[in-house]
Amino acid sequence: MGRKLLLDKVHVDGIRSYDVYRREGGYRSVEKALKSMNPDAVTDEVKKSGLRGRGGAGFPTGMKWSFLAKPAGVPRYLVCNADESEPGTFKDRYLMEFIPHLLIEGMIVSSFALGSNLSYIYIRGEYAWIIDILEQAIAEAKQHGFLGKNILGSGFDCEIYVHRGAGAYICGEETALLESLEGKRGNPRIKPPFPAVKGLWDCPTVVNNVETLAAVVPIINEGAEEYAKIGIGKSTGTKLMSACGNINKPGVYEIDMTIPVEEFIYSDEYCGGIPNKKRLKACIPGGSSVPILPANLLLTTAKGEKRLMNYESLSDGGFATGSMMGSGGFIVLDEDQCVVKHTYTLARFYRHESCGQCSPCREGTGWMEKILLNIDNGKGRISDIDLLWDIQRKIEGNTICPLGDAAAWPVAAAIRHFRDEFEWHVLNPGECLKSNYGLAHYADEIHMPLIA
Amino acid sequence: MSEVTKLFKVTIDNITIDVAPGTTILNAARQIGGDVTPPAMCYYSKLEGSGGKCRTCLVEVAAGSTADPRPMPKLMASCRTTVMDGMVVKNITSEKVTDARNGVVEFLLINHPLDCPICDQAGECHLQDLGYDHGKEGTRYEFARRTFEKEDIGPYIQLHMTRCILCYRCTYVADQLTDKRVHGILDRGDHAEISTYISKAIDNDFSGNMIDVCPVGALTDKTFRFKNRVWFTKPVDAHRDCETKGCCGKATLWLRGNEVYRVTARKDEWDEVQSFDGKPGWICNACRFDKKKTSDWVVEGLTTINRHSVIGANKYKALQMPKETVKEVMGGRDPKLLMNIHNVSEVNNPAVHLSEIEGPAQMSDFKNSGEHVEGAGESTQWGMKK
Repeated sequence: MGRKLLLDKVHVDGIRSYDVYRREGGYRSVEKALKSMNPDAVTDEVKKSGLRGRGGAGFPTGMKWSFLAKPAGVPRYLVCNADESEPGTFKDRYLMEFIPHLLIEGMIVSSFALGSNLSYIYIRGEYAWIIDILEQAIAEAKQHGFLGKNILGSGFDCEIYVHRGAGAYICGEETALLESLEGKRGNPRIKPPFPAVKGLWDCPTVVNNVETLAAVVPIINEGAEEYAKIGIGKSTGTKLMSACGNINKPGVYEIDMTIPVEEFIYSDEYCGGIPNKKRLKACIPGGSSVPILPANLLLTTAKGEKRLMNYESLSDGGFATGSMMGSGGFIVLDEDQCVVKHTYTLARFYRHESCGQCSPCREGTGWMEKILLNIDNGKGRISDIDLLWDIQRKIEGNTICPLGDAAAWPVAAAIRHFRDEFEWHVLNPGECLKSNYGLAHYADEIHMPLIA
Repeated sequence: MSEVTKLFKVTIDNITIDVAPGTTILNAARQIGGDVTPPAMCYYSKLEGSGGKCRTCLVEVAAGSTADPRPMPKLMASCRTTVMDGMVVKNITSEKVTDARNGVVEFLLINHPLDCPICDQAGECHLQDLGYDHGKEGTRYEFARRTFEKEDIGPYIQLHMTRCILCYRCTYVADQLTDKRVHGILDRGDHAEISTYISKAIDNDFSGNMIDVCPVGALTDKTFRFKNRVWFTKPVDAHRDCETKGCCGKATLWLRGNEVYRVTARKDEWDEVQSFDGKPGWICNACRFDKKKTSDWVVEGLTTINRHSVIGANKYKALQMPKETVKEVMGGRDPKLLMNIHNVSEVNNPAVHLSEIEGPAQMSDFKNSGEHVEGAGESTQWGMKK
């Protein structure tokens, strides 16, 4: 049984209310930070904890905080990125819905560390009911003196506002989020300058994911050393995984990043295996934009080691034979699933969500979608597979923001690992509409070291 | 000036130049000129905030600076990346750049209608130039192209959204030049479009400058539509005392005979409006659309066309050829001229000035010219008068 730091109290009756949350030890970290620590000490603590951004990129949070420019007389902002829109990722929704005070508590401590007197939660508009929950939590925190002027007599003022997005995936990209927060069209900005120097209203800004900010609470409560003891290597602490697809128990799980992928899928503590005695075909371990892996490479790395659920192990082998931890949206595909259709679905999503600002992403995502639809409908050609590869290659790395990469990677990985399934679709145009390629050899043990 | 600003040394395609700190790679390359300069479809130096979007100006930074000589991992948008001292940039000498740029051109063309034969922008279109330099002869795109209904943006401008490459320049004009912006980008991705809200006409004194900044034929002058091909018209510099506040009154008239077909702002070699007294020379709608008689203007003389473009290809009397940098890039080696097109074809004989042809051009117009192409067969670059 893994250690839980974020969701340990989530099933306590009434934890959503301030009274119960406080009774269960809530807001201790605010008291500890504001009464016995200075802002730099809090930042140091987060640095020492090894906490990495939980939004997808996995950048060390403490380091991000220490990059924040601090010119005198200029306000600084903390913005919580709650625009969780990656297909397959729904961990922040769970956290905010069931234990909203944890996020508020984490935000107060983080705001204190960064010197932000005005912090925002940018939440996707589709989470309409959660906005009410968060605003209720903010009101309760303020009523009990954890927000507002001169919090706990420390002289630190802080207000938190919830801002609602209008339904664009791109607004989860931090600079597009800031544009949207300023009331503009949510187009990503060209970096540099980075938000740490010129962010919201051209002031230094830190944008952090919901789970990242919530994780600050146990770090301050237990101390960085204790926190860093959990996990392996540079993957410290616990991680929320939102598991979905062909599994018996879809849901949000808090894991301590030491368990093997195999255990996560098959153990009853987590996903509980695959329904109807089906076999595992493929999995996207970190949300729709990270590379898909066939069963064999998912469970063991190319070196033949057991793959673990953490940043390093999931990305072992690079994109040739590995994937990424991403935002923790764990999507499992069983042998009845068609990788071509699946890839088409994702391509359609990215085409719809591309902001249209830069050419490769605007034009390339639509082109890939159309080709994939053809292949899926049995109208593809063998040359289309190479064309897809070429298109994704010309999008990746050549765009303003990572959405281009996010659109290119799933297509690249699908072709890299499932090329024969694409070919089967092309060569069996009638058959592919009625049945599917099945498991094929995707779970076979790998004897040769793979070279992409 | 008590203190002299230290200049940054930057090397672009083997050519080193000293530029002021804060200069972008693109502008440094423009100071060198010629083929070393990356193409730019969305960047416009006179419009604040423009650039970074089209990705045609991507370059490889082989060394970040003297202090930190590591190469940058990704290709950089040269229009929005400032130079560092000791930076080494590869543009036409980088295979990665050529590959990526070919990709961008292909992306820009998949939804472009390629209706150049009936497009007023043809001849001075940046996408034509770009396609000429980097495009493939065929297309790999087999699907229906996105199309839009034509839209009138005010009384003088037609928006042909189907041709638009979403460079955003016109929205910056509307933002920065006119009082109230009533047009912008609607929707997302490849279905995004430039539009005015609820077809609200743009009615202000400077909206016509959107036509000048449009790199393609998406925004065209309704008073000039289908009247003439630009290469048959003769550009002259002219000015008038314009009472509109903010109008520089200096323009280029495009004539056929003595008739003024079109009025545009004066453009520099990068096809941007020229600056006068440090200010961009935008012109007002009255100058552009209403003053269509030579008597409205004081004509100064022939406009020097010095743009490396289809229209710059030896069609004008006052023509300044673009600076050649290829020899320098190639370390002193001269490129070899494989064939001079004028040796085998009489069409477009450079000795014939198109604006002097009466009526539609015929083969006989070129045959009867009697002049022979000077330098043909010799190893000069273009086989034409310098």
